[in-house]
Amino acid sequence: MSESTTIALQTINLEVGYKKNNQNQVLFEPLSLTLAQGELVCFMGSNGIGKTTLIKTLAGIQAPLKGTVTRHYSTAIVLTDKISGSLMTVRDLVTYGRYPHLNWWLKLNDEDHQIIENAIRKVHLESIADKQLSQLSDGQLQMVMIAKALAQDANILLLDEPTAHLDLNNRVEIMNLLRLLARETNKTILVATHELDLALQTADKIWLATQDKKIVTGIPEDLVLDGTFDTVFQLKGFDLKTGKISHTPYRKKLVQLDGSGPEYLWTKNALERSGYELDTNALTRISILSPDKIYWELSSNTINGRFKTLEDLLKAIGN
Amino acid sequence: MKQNSARLALLILTIGLGVLFLLNISIGSVSIPVKEVIKALFTHTGTNADILWQFRLPKAITCVLAGSALATGGLLMQTLFRNPMAGPDVLGLTSGSSLLVAILLMAGRYGSFVGILIQNPWSIAIAASFGGAMVFVIIIAIAKYVRDNTSLLIVGLMISAATSSIVSVLQFTSQADDLQTFMIWMLGSVGNTNWSELAVLTIIISIGIGISISLIKSLNGILLGESYALNLAINIKRARIMIVITTGMMVGVVTAFCGPIAFVGLAVPHLIRLVLPTSNHKTLLPAVMLGGAILLLMCDVIAQLPGRAQVLPLNAITSLIGAPVVIWMVIKAKRISV
Repeated sequence: MSESTTIALQTINLEVGYKKNNQNQVLFEPLSLTLAQGELVCFMGSNGIGKTTLIKTLAGIQAPLKGTVTRHYSTAIVLTDKISGSLMTVRDLVTYGRYPHLNWWLKLNDEDHQIIENAIRKVHLESIADKQLSQLSDGQLQMVMIAKALAQDANILLLDEPTAHLDLNNRVEIMNLLRLLARETNKTILVATHELDLALQTADKIWLATQDKKIVTGIPEDLVLDGTFDTVFQLKGFDLKTGKISHTPYRKKLVQLDGSGPEYLWTKNALERSGYELDTNALTRISILSPDKIYWELSSNTINGRFKTLEDLLKAIGN
Repeated sequence: MKQNSARLALLILTIGLGVLFLLNISIGSVSIPVKEVIKALFTHTGTNADILWQFRLPKAITCVLAGSALATGGLLMQTLFRNPMAGPDVLGLTSGSSLLVAILLMAGRYGSFVGILIQNPWSIAIAASFGGAMVFVIIIAIAKYVRDNTSLLIVGLMISAATSSIVSVLQFTSQADDLQTFMIWMLGSVGNTNWSELAVLTIIISIGIGISISLIKSLNGILLGESYALNLAINIKRARIMIVITTGMMVGVVTAFCGPIAFVGLAVPHLIRLVLPTSNHKTLLPAVMLGGAILLLMCDVIAQLPGRAQVLPLNAITSLIGAPVVIWMVIKAKRISV
């Protein structure tokens, strides 16, 4: 990001929330935030802290309690709201994206058709374009909602937990797609998400809602290293700096491991998960050998042997 | 739903409507062959022409208007509440209209001013529309707190029960001949409309259907929920008010002149979705209008008991068709949607 980035969306002393018994329930301290063009921002924070409310306010579908939101471009949203109309097809739903540009009779011109087909193609929905929504999986439905947002031809995309309830594969696919959209089409994308690992690996910037009603912003790596993530999420057993779940070496046994590449990483994973600690001077030694087919060689005072699977290896050193 | 198959379905429905219309006016206590019907319509002479112009045509046209209006009202309500169980009779709109009509009829006894009013079909129509719209507003207010299908249905039934009991009290205090008029009216009939009432019916329902068609985009938008609709630049608030007014107006005027006709509004949108699986109101709305007209013409044909002098109450027939549809919907509730 250079200094000359154009601002796509800006808030000045924005207060969001709702009215309860004629009193304003403000969810955050006054927010002055910006989103730059072409930027993918992940908005993180614990459940119920007000991510949805802020996204709706930024999109202009909920009024701010105080302050201003300036949108320099049109905005499309993807929310977690349930939609009706299960008889409509994927293409019907993507067509909704054109509604801001259509009159009451919903007459589509050639350009509209082209934009709809492009949106379907971009999200790889060609094969299911004529399926009814009731036949889709949750992941597919999310992709269709994203395609609808793309058909809106808006420069700002605001997404509220687009990856919730999806399996890892679908989550990665959606985040990769958003990453690509920000780069290729210069769209500004804000994603509220719980996926810490995915956000760290894809976002240009993180907005992090803290417990003291502030939103801390920065690039992911800075927020990891200065410990902001740790204080917000109060991580239990997940070591953010290595990106792994931390293990206790409960067996109090040291193992030396020789090898390289993914085989090394996964063997290390298996050993640490099973409670061993790696040490370069340990007496028990495991070598990963792969002349044509991979096997593990174990040598120690008590046992020696070769194993075709990690499972057998773990059994042998466990005894 | 491809556009061509939608057009084909609409064409078939239109042809079906034409056929049933001819069938409807040729059947009755005196059966007139279709050939004679067409001849009489153009020559305007003979007993057949008298029967047709004075009785059968107004009745058949009333069927078409009332059927389309009720079915359209049902579709608008199902879309607005995003609830497959919604319908003008299930949620108490017809009861609301009945109440106002009853008040107007009974009050006519006590004041000459009101007495003059009830002679005018417009005042009955306006009173009934107002009654329907009022109940609609109450239901919308309650629907904010009750989200699921069954609860809303129960609330509707309760409102129906409450308004019906007020009507009962009115009946109890009214005179015998008023009571009989009211009881017959409650059974539902499309055969009592004269040409001046038909004019009122036509004008109000045409306006209602015109507004409904102008709302196609908003109706589609409502299916996605308020937030998405707002993001697509659809004015939900205005659409909601228009739907309340339109539905109240159409259901009210039909109820005023034909009595509270049950189940047409609830069942027709579902029957149409069975043959024409789409959520797009651009297709759904005209199909439902045609479907409502066809269903009511058909029910009226059955109610005439062709070849006999007796006529069954229309409400009995619509309920016989509608009740199984509702039971089937409750059983398959998971698969039924708006």
